[in-house]
Amino acid sequence: MTTMTKSKEKISVAAVRRLSKRYNEPEWLRFARLIAWETFESLPWPTYKEETWRRTRLTGFNLADYHLPAADAARFPSRQALPEHLRQELEKIDSAGVLILQDGALIYRELDDALVEKGVRFTDLRSALQEDAELVQVHLSALVRAKENKFTALHYALWQNGAFLYAPRNVVIEKPLQVLVIQGEGLAGLHHSLLVGEENSEAVVVEDFVGARQGMSDSVAEIFVKQAARLHYLRLQNLDETAWNFTTQRASVGRDALYRQLQASWGSKLSKVWIDLDMDEPGGHGELLGLYFPQDRQHLDHHTNQNHKEPRCTSDLLFKGALEDHARSVYQGMIHVLHDAQRTDAYQKNDNLLLSNHARADSIPGLEISADDVRCTHGATSAKVPEEYIFYLMARGLSRQTAKRMIVQGFFEEVINRVPVPGVRAKLEAEIAHRVGIE
Amino acid sequence: MTAVLEVKDLHAAVEGKEILKGVTLTIRQGEVHALMGPNGSGKSTLGYVIAGHPHYEVLSGDILFNGESILDLAPDERAKLGIFLAFQYPVAIPGVSFANFLRAAVSSVRGYKDRAKEEMARTGQLREVGSELMPMREFRKELFEKMDRYNVDRAFARRYLNDGFSGGEKKRGEVLQMAMLQPKIAILDESDSGLDIDALRVVSDGINKLVAGGMGALLITHYQRILDYVKPEKVSVFYDGRVVLTGGPEVAEMLEENGYGWIENHLAELAARQ
Repeated sequence: MTTMTKSKEKISVAAVRRLSKRYNEPEWLRFARLIAWETFESLPWPTYKEETWRRTRLTGFNLADYHLPAADAARFPSRQALPEHLRQELEKIDSAGVLILQDGALIYRELDDALVEKGVRFTDLRSALQEDAELVQVHLSALVRAKENKFTALHYALWQNGAFLYAPRNVVIEKPLQVLVIQGEGLAGLHHSLLVGEENSEAVVVEDFVGARQGMSDSVAEIFVKQAARLHYLRLQNLDETAWNFTTQRASVGRDALYRQLQASWGSKLSKVWIDLDMDEPGGHGELLGLYFPQDRQHLDHHTNQNHKEPRCTSDLLFKGALEDHARSVYQGMIHVLHDAQRTDAYQKNDNLLLSNHARADSIPGLEISADDVRCTHGATSAKVPEEYIFYLMARGLSRQTAKRMIVQGFFEEVINRVPVPGVRAKLEAEIAHRVGIE
Repeated sequence: MTAVLEVKDLHAAVEGKEILKGVTLTIRQGEVHALMGPNGSGKSTLGYVIAGHPHYEVLSGDILFNGESILDLAPDERAKLGIFLAFQYPVAIPGVSFANFLRAAVSSVRGYKDRAKEEMARTGQLREVGSELMPMREFRKELFEKMDRYNVDRAFARRYLNDGFSGGEKKRGEVLQMAMLQPKIAILDESDSGLDIDALRVVSDGINKLVAGGMGALLITHYQRILDYVKPEKVSVFYDGRVVLTGGPEVAEMLEENGYGWIENHLAELAARQ
């Protein structure tokens, strides 16, 4: 990456125009960006008066502190040419395809030839705009709109690049596809994930976010799971603990389709994560899994919606968090069951484990039901590690530290054993062990 | 050397209330010592205090293991010396598999962990993940052998620790842990409670095998029933926070015939004579 220049520019409407020009973007996109910028300018910064912002403050956040990368990093020709730490990271997961993006530039890509032949598209969003303009145009911003919030508006004005997956009809991608999103120091990173699983296709996407020291990340994910498709999306947020992180994600689940998402939130100074699961057609099944483990003064806020619009859908949400030091978490969740969504079966659970007397976990689960033949359950718990557990394990010869680690790992196990990729499970377990502290 | 655990004039309290009021008791390796007494007399508290439960405060007296006080040792250090408490109500820990837990415990008690730490200190190199654990293959072999020997279903290994276990399964689990950790002295807190006759046989059989292998056991029980299966060398009667009588197996028979009321009368007589 020696060719990468240090030049960067400020966030402004001029930057929007330059970005569009630099990549010679089609008119519709340039226009969409400018409209989004206008929306961004017209929307006020969030205040605690909005329900979703009541427990999360942006004190200390100043957009002018962050710059946009003004030049693209160079591409690596082969896996061997990658720096050692990146190669090691890739080797943790046995994958069928890899994308590495550094500050909006695709620096590495692989995809199994067999998948290319079957018509699978797995590339960065910029390349997809060149190669599959129509597919991108149809799906981009169809689920998450610019006007949704201040950060989505900013995102659609200035997104730099993203990950694009298109799994054609009846194509089963057996091994996971891996995306690594790396962000440099002091920058604003605006990454867009666009995943499309066509009818009866199957895919697993693992997306890792790292870096962003003294930076901010403003990402959007749109996931289309069409009829009878099966899509797993595992998002691992490993940003630096000085980063601000804002992300809006929405999946649309089609008829009899299966969608499972994991959000593992480890890093960032502050995160505001919105995740919506839209059960748009009858018979779909959606799962949202979440893990978080803030330490020091990290503040992690997850706001989910399970939107049941059509009959006979099931949705299942399980978010588990452990909190250390002065950390703070907010979980706010709603199950919406619209009038037509008869025979909905929806579940929502948030459990918190407090490892310090100074940590605080707020949990606000909710239900809004307009149909009459439904089954909805929700619940939230918040507890300390029971001393009786610690004593039992210590009486068997485990040190206090090991006992605590086992209990915390056990607490997260309920989520981890639902993660379908062994390499990802191992990564999650290692991260938890690292956070609890190995002697 | 035969290990000896001596409890000497032990006074202990919980939340300011004195429960143990001068307990004196000796348990030797290879010997079964039954501790019988009515409910609420403080028998379980004695087990907890020996194991080092932080909730209990030792007011005076001492607990010696091979002549050295263990009062300043944390529960895990006591376990490493070879002291084991089989819980009356083992806690369920969701998400922690029986096998993973037991491998960590065995590795700690048998010194794998300390050796890995020493090695790291000596070479200055970071150790590999898992190097502080007993090798998986070796552990599994021993675990399965002992599961078969102590009548514990092999499916236990993958289940979460005591989670959803029946009363009998929990007690079998405690015996299996004992078999793997090979303590010198075990305190068995009501290991017979809540067991049907088949489970009682399995648990008693396990205890007998371990005692034959050299383990010493303090068998805390409310009932005579388990003593039909596990034969004690010594029987002590526990009453109101103290050992009031120690003798041979005949003490248990007397209790069986006359009930705990007999002890009360006996104590009242003694008090009247003084």
